[in-house]
Amino acid sequence: MNNGSARIAGAIVTYGFVGLMAFLSIFPFVWMLLGATNSSIDIIKGKMLPGSALATNISTFFTQVNAPLVFWNSAKIAILATALTLAVSSLAGYGFEMFRSRRRDRIYSALLLTMMIPFAALMIPLFIMMGKVGLINTHLAVVLPSIGSAFVVFYFRQCTKAFPSELRDAAKVDGLKEWQIFLYIYVPVMRSTYAAAFIIVFMTAWNNYLWPLIVLQSNETKTITLVISSLASAYYPDYGVVMVGTILATLPTLAVFFFMQRQFVQGMLGSVK
Amino acid sequence: MSELQLSDVRKSYGNFEVIKGVDLDIRTGEFVVFVGPSGCGKSTLLRMIAGLEEITSGDLLIDGERMNDVDPSKRGIAMVFQSYALYPHMTVRENMGFALRFAGVPKAEIDSRVGEAANILELGPLLDRKPKQLSGGQRQRVAIGRAIVRHPKIFLFDEPLSNLDAELRVHMRIEIARLHKKLATTIIYVTHDQVEAMTLADKIVVMRGGVVEQVGSPLDLYDDPANLFVAGFIGSPKMNFLKGIVEMGAGGDKHVRLPDFGNATLPVTARDAAPGSAVTIGIRPEHFGDNGSAHLALTIDMLEHLGGETFAYARHGNGELIVIETKNGRSLKSGDSIAARFDSTVALVFDADGRRLR
Ligand SMILES: Nc1ncnc2c1ncn2[C@@H]1O[C@H](COP(=O)(O)OP(=O)(O)OP(=O)(O)O)[C@@H](O)[C@H]1O
Ligand SMILES: [Mg+2]
Repeated sequence: MNNGSARIAGAIVTYGFVGLMAFLSIFPFVWMLLGATNSSIDIIKGKMLPGSALATNISTFFTQVNAPLVFWNSAKIAILATALTLAVSSLAGYGFEMFRSRRRDRIYSALLLTMMIPFAALMIPLFIMMGKVGLINTHLAVVLPSIGSAFVVFYFRQCTKAFPSELRDAAKVDGLKEWQIFLYIYVPVMRSTYAAAFIIVFMTAWNNYLWPLIVLQSNETKTITLVISSLASAYYPDYGVVMVGTILATLPTLAVFFFMQRQFVQGMLGSVK
Repeated sequence: MSELQLSDVRKSYGNFEVIKGVDLDIRTGEFVVFVGPSGCGKSTLLRMIAGLEEITSGDLLIDGERMNDVDPSKRGIAMVFQSYALYPHMTVRENMGFALRFAGVPKAEIDSRVGEAANILELGPLLDRKPKQLSGGQRQRVAIGRAIVRHPKIFLFDEPLSNLDAELRVHMRIEIARLHKKLATTIIYVTHDQVEAMTLADKIVVMRGGVVEQVGSPLDLYDDPANLFVAGFIGSPKMNFLKGIVEMGAGGDKHVRLPDFGNATLPVTARDAAPGSAVTIGIRPEHFGDNGSAHLALTIDMLEHLGGETFAYARHGNGELIVIETKNGRSLKSGDSIAARFDSTVALVFDADGRRLR
């Protein structure tokens, strides 16, 4: 039947496309896992099967890298940046949505416009600023610029639109001050929005590379992303070791995502029902 | 002494005046209902009383004390919102006790007050549930309970029943009336619903475009509206309005001629109706009958038999539809010609600007 074969053809195209996309997203992971078990030479040759070099790669990684320090640095930066970003941006999103003012939308547009400025353009002025206040080579220099994130403010404002304004009115009648409404009503009600934002911000902070590369100069301050990249850019990079590092670096974000998956999806769908 | 007093209260958003000078006295224990078309400022006025909107000018007195700038929680009011506005992350018990906990009321006292309110509203078995696990009617009761717990001087309700289905609405309406009897607290209640207003109110405040058109008891407003707007707004089906002209008869008797109804005439008693002026005659559907000094020759267009009564929609020629309510209309058929009689003394007379002429 014509109709039937058309449907089959459609299905083939659909599944083909979906399969291709799935392959494209999964392949790097598989390669990373396989790579960790192979020697550098085998990886360069394009070997696609599990090898026997896993133990060697792991021990090489841990002798070359001061793993506890490096992971501690990454974790410290990511957690601090995430906590501060969520606090500041959610307050800003709440404020932008709740308080009417004639200048509100102009300021908001200006804020959103800052998303258009490529980070590369900000790097040099930012570096000079950090230098002036003596923060070069400190973790604070990595954390501070990430806090006022226009994107996260935008995300919170959008989600705040679903926050019922009558809830705020009810809280006012119940005697809460604005900051108490925020803390005791808004934050718990918007829990899943926070969870979604947490994942996004945490991953960004954890994977942050360019800016830390510039401001973190001594080995004691370096993060895992910087260390992996320096392994990979060695004169004779050992790709097996790089893969081991990459796997280890992926674990925390994976863990965060798995633990908060449900809230993340809820947050993406809109938290208030 | 009046419990709540508004004098020349106004509200503007920028240059746009929403409440245009409202004066109102509400006595202790009164059930006051604000009605009016959408956008007339009912909610705004209520929220100004609650302290959720700033008062642009004028005075708001509660128990004789000026409250314009007092925090909502210190005005002695409690509010029930249209969307219930229960805190979704708290149980029913926590929701109800929240304000008290914030005011630093001792735990034992909170428990006893929550228990008391739960008793009144039969919320006992629901106390440990979250709002998500409640039906609409139950949420509404919790919202009312949350208000009761605070022992307010004045309850404010903003269309509290409009999210409920028809049956539940009737049920909750009765419950609110019962509650008012029991607590004897002042209630200010905003609604769109005629029936709610008529059945619940001691006093109805009819608003339009940010001004109060008339204040009075439900039946006063029904029988004795001050203007065309109130006459048309109160009552369902609506009052019939007939265009007419005041004329002097040969014998010096004043009557109104109705050009759209074959120049039917009816005597008028309104002293203020000046001969030669255009007026509007208002007649309620139930005022038509088989007797009366005036009559209109009408043809029935459509009938609604409700069992107990019949609504006949009739017109003269191609004129406007007139609604007639009758108890014995089962034998009527559409196309029938009828003489709709009424007593001219029950007809209301309004001048060209809609003011009532007496
Ligand atoms: N924050 C605001 N800014 C500007 N105008 C407003 C604001 N809030 C309300 N208004 C205007 O005030 C008028 C009265 O609004 P309000 O909500 O009091 O009406 P309402 O009588 O309660 O209507 P409804 O029956 O539809 O609830 C409306 O014209 C509305 O557009
Ligand atoms: Mg309203």
